[in-house]
Amino acid sequence: MRETRPVETTPARGDAVAPSAHRIPLTCDRLVTWADRQAGTVLVLPAVLVILALSIFPLLFSLYLSLARFQPVAGGFRFQFVGLLNYRKLFVGSEQEHFLGRLGSLGLFGWVVLVALAALFAVLLWRSLRAEPVTPLRLLGHGIVAVAGLAALWLAVGTIASGGRPGTLVVTWVYVFGGVALQFLIGLLLAVLCAQQLPGRRFFRVVFLLPMMITPVGVAYTFRMLTDTGKGPFAPVANWLGYANVSWVNDPWGARIAVMIGDLWQWTPFMFIVLLAALESQSPEPVEAAIVDGASRWQIFWHITLPQIAPVASTVVLIRLIEAFKIFDMPNVLTGGGPGTATESLTLHAYVLWRSLDYGTSAAVAYSLLFVVTFVGIAYVRLLHRRVTTLG
Amino acid sequence: MALHWRTSPTRPGPLAMLASYAILTVWALVVLFPLYWLAITAFKLPIHVNEGPTYVPFLDFQPSLHAWRYILVDLGNDTLRPYLNTVIVGITSSVLTLLLGAAATYGLSRFTYRIRLASVLVFLAGAVLAAAGMEFGLPWQLAVAGGLGAFALAWATALRRVGGPRLGNADIAFWMISQRMLPPVAIVIPIYILFQRLTLLDTRTALVIAYVAANLPIAVWLLRDYFQTIPIELEESAAIDGANRYQILWRIVLPLALPGLVATFLFIFVLAWNEYLLALFLSSAKAQTMPLLVAAQNATRGPQWWYMSVLILLMIGPVIALAIVLERYIARGLLLGAVRG
Amino acid sequence: MRMLSRRRFLSVAALTGSALLAACRGGQQATPTPVTTGGTAGAGQRFDGVEVNVITFTGPQIAEPLQRRAPEFQQLTGAKINVITVPFADLYQKILTDITTGTNSYHVLVFSPQWMADFVEPGYLEDLTPRVEADPALQWDDIAPFFRNFSALYNGRIYTIPLDGDFQMVYYRTDLLEAEGLKPPETWEDYLAIAQHFHGKDLNGDGVPDFGSGIAKRRGAQSYWMFWSIAASFLQSQGTQQGAFFDVDTMEPLTNNEAFARALEIYKETGQYGPPDELNWDVGDSRSAFVTGRCALTIDWGDIGTLAIDPEQSKVKDKVGAIILPGTKEVLDRSAGKLVACDANTCPHAINGVNHAPYAAYGGWSGAINKNAPAKVKDAGYAFLSYMSQPAQANVDVTIGKTGFNPYRISQFENIDLWVKAGMSEQAARNYLGAIKDSLNSPNMVLDLRIPGTQRYQGVVLDTVLSRYLAGELTTKQAMEELTKGWNEITDELGREKQKQAYRASLSIR
Repeated sequence: MRETRPVETTPARGDAVAPSAHRIPLTCDRLVTWADRQAGTVLVLPAVLVILALSIFPLLFSLYLSLARFQPVAGGFRFQFVGLLNYRKLFVGSEQEHFLGRLGSLGLFGWVVLVALAALFAVLLWRSLRAEPVTPLRLLGHGIVAVAGLAALWLAVGTIASGGRPGTLVVTWVYVFGGVALQFLIGLLLAVLCAQQLPGRRFFRVVFLLPMMITPVGVAYTFRMLTDTGKGPFAPVANWLGYANVSWVNDPWGARIAVMIGDLWQWTPFMFIVLLAALESQSPEPVEAAIVDGASRWQIFWHITLPQIAPVASTVVLIRLIEAFKIFDMPNVLTGGGPGTATESLTLHAYVLWRSLDYGTSAAVAYSLLFVVTFVGIAYVRLLHRRVTTLG
Repeated sequence: MALHWRTSPTRPGPLAMLASYAILTVWALVVLFPLYWLAITAFKLPIHVNEGPTYVPFLDFQPSLHAWRYILVDLGNDTLRPYLNTVIVGITSSVLTLLLGAAATYGLSRFTYRIRLASVLVFLAGAVLAAAGMEFGLPWQLAVAGGLGAFALAWATALRRVGGPRLGNADIAFWMISQRMLPPVAIVIPIYILFQRLTLLDTRTALVIAYVAANLPIAVWLLRDYFQTIPIELEESAAIDGANRYQILWRIVLPLALPGLVATFLFIFVLAWNEYLLALFLSSAKAQTMPLLVAAQNATRGPQWWYMSVLILLMIGPVIALAIVLERYIARGLLLGAVRG
Repeated sequence: MRMLSRRRFLSVAALTGSALLAACRGGQQATPTPVTTGGTAGAGQRFDGVEVNVITFTGPQIAEPLQRRAPEFQQLTGAKINVITVPFADLYQKILTDITTGTNSYHVLVFSPQWMADFVEPGYLEDLTPRVEADPALQWDDIAPFFRNFSALYNGRIYTIPLDGDFQMVYYRTDLLEAEGLKPPETWEDYLAIAQHFHGKDLNGDGVPDFGSGIAKRRGAQSYWMFWSIAASFLQSQGTQQGAFFDVDTMEPLTNNEAFARALEIYKETGQYGPPDELNWDVGDSRSAFVTGRCALTIDWGDIGTLAIDPEQSKVKDKVGAIILPGTKEVLDRSAGKLVACDANTCPHAINGVNHAPYAAYGGWSGAINKNAPAKVKDAGYAFLSYMSQPAQANVDVTIGKTGFNPYRISQFENIDLWVKAGMSEQAARNYLGAIKDSLNSPNMVLDLRIPGTQRYQGVVLDTVLSRYLAGELTTKQAMEELTKGWNEITDELGREKQKQAYRASLSIR
């Protein structure tokens, strides 16, 4: 716990606040002075302790679980240590196709997409590397990101290509990257519109927040009602268009898109509210100055507003990335992971195993997810987040 | 808002205004239609739901209060109790989260922390040993003692100034957010065991503790950026006036970060209000919360849409009220400019 | 009414006394009370101050009758019954976590006997055999033979008290079949033919084309039980003890042979006469579609019988017929893996040359007792379960749709009046009870899988393979190979010999 001890309490970033200079010999005041000196510790320690208390045990417990088999026995349970067997099952054994997917034939188009994405990735990485002096450690870090990123790209493009079948890992990526990008764009658009001086904007602001406030299970069931092709409100529309005998349910991408729409509906408000708060706290002077200089709306947005809200925007994207990796209720309720395993996310995969007492494999899936999220998180923070914020 | 000075720079032209309204209205419809569907489903008889879509009460179908009667009268206390629990747990945990989170964030944005990697590793090793001790049948008191020993050792390592890389503020913050990376299914059994040992199962306290721990990282991350935007000059002049850290935090920083605080509060409150899996495991009868009741409407006979809709509407009501009240405070963020000016 | 409650009261007094006596043999009871306590006060005091926590899922089904009868029971015996409910999908996890971690906050478990192996093998459940033997009020012999001899038993010992009878049947629309002069399906080929006949026609007069068949096929729901209802008659023909999942001698799955292939193909073909989004239907959808007249045929548990007479749900009141699950004229020859025609040897239980194998899917909600509960609480808990299952209570509850209880006692088929009172026409009641009786009397009833890891065999591997097969990701051959491989992997992981013994124990093979 003491590792949060501030070694130096010299304020960061030129903060020149000095401890109070008063030296009145009253115990109460002394206490205050002492507390003031220790402010760095006092402020952070409670939060660190609470998080630590509830995280360290589960983290280690499930790590061990992923290397073991769970057995109920008289009076309790027992773990049988099996080493990496659970992971082997996922990566090369019977769960491989379920977890990683099956590679299809890439074809010309597939190769073009793969090469284009890889090139884009390489350019981003290169620019990030060049932004600061190159040290061996940074080189190593970027090297790891490059290899892992390219492998992930290859897996994603290869399994999505014709003849292939994306496993739960790739499906989760689709939900996360596709979903978060859309949520961010729509959330930003709505926030910008709502930050204007429009009559009636309060109404829109409150309305736009609503989806976030419904319990995720409830949202998922609501969307199951809405997307039902027999009893849902859009059934007559589909009939009228001549799609009475077609259902999104039977098409893997149709089902995935249905899941993503539900997720989009629910989580755009989060992006919206945070970005709106950011837009409203930005300082008006630069905008006013730019208007005086005759800048266009778009120029103001691109060069002044966006950089100002970039730290918040980047944070909110990071939080959503982490949360989106855990997408569970929507596929579970909407499709149960079907058709086949087309809409199954990693968390759902872990949950199905967990529910059947296969705690070991379930924990292995969860830990694989943890690795992926940590990796994406660190890469995101290092490559992007630190560049738009002065914070880490 | 009375801040007329601000209206001129951002007031859009008529064409832009029309376009804005068009987009806003479309999205408002997208948001409202599912809610409308929920609202009418709450008044439908099962047969009206199952026969095929009907859209307008009285025209398409005869509304019925059967679902409301079941939830509010037949279930009675079985609805009220979870409802109260949800309110109490939601408010308590969010306020605590916000207090702890604001303090921690302020610390992280105004102090430099440097932790030795070595002491973290020693601590982790101690924790592993303690966990392994429990696994091999040591009494849990002993394991806790071992854990405390590990803390002490970690502390000692830090003191003795062993070399090695250090971790800074950014790493603490990342460590916090990383606690949300493991999917809930992986942590719920250990958390259950934890609270069972503390004999806190089926209490609201357990839920409050769990939610504070779960939502703190988000609060810290959301607040960091707002705290960042607060000009340091104000704090400096306050310090010269003799205010201590806590007074500065309470009187200057928090009021200035109000929009961020409100947005954050709203978000963590909603997370606590709607949480399912932890609530499922940490409660069994007395401390059950509303999301359990919603999920429970999908039982052996398929989802009971009508009951589910009523429950969702009951759950969303207070949150909407909260959003309407707090929305004013987000708007007050405009004052920040006034202070600066 | 006065008389009735007194009679009930006496029976409870007697049974609780005998339960106590049973407990006394274990030497745990500090103050034994004689069995013959007749007085009101004596028995009423017996469980005073005892609180029993009963866990089941959030109803109204199953939980409602327990909650409704708890105060009655408290009046009779003084024991306070707390019915704790959790969402259905998480019931199993919740109970198991509670017991494995030693929390033991639940004393009576009302759950699916399918989970029994996971609880009995590690010794979490109380052996109820002595209590049942000493409990005449329970009228054990009135419970249908299948539930009495197989469902409640594990390794020949009684662990659960049945509260509900679960097995699947085929439902059809009597009005439609009569109008076309068709007979209810006897074989699965008949089922397909009838489904095809009605598919695309308007069956409920709303001008929209309806479906020949509607079966719950959603992943992560009930699809694997529906499928096994089809497969069962191809796989099992020699009586319940033959088993329909594994070979009892080698523990080799019966999932890679001609019979299984035929069942898969029939299962897939039903989709041609079903709704377009059938892959996403759970029983909620198939039931509501059937009772609103959108399907001519469906496979389901007993629930449709009572749903169809509920005016809030149904448009097909008295137009619903039920029949024992259709069968087949060709069954699996296990040694060769081929289909062979039915004769006196291959299908000893055939009716009109058709082998029927009614499938007791899920097993019916039953009550069990946590072995780690305090002795007095166990006694009170048992008394409560017995009270719930006694004909005086159960025979009323099974006729009420809301309870979710389906018939499982012989006396429940004989008293047609109860069903007519509940809203069925006499003809519909006879038809419904006839189908139930045919199923329950069949010596070839299929016991659901109940060995350690049942959830993994069925809920994970089988469910996933079926979903992928229906989605066209796997061919019939691939599906069978995948399923067999997956099942063998679980068996080997949990120990083949141990699993075999458990499978034999579940079938009460000594």
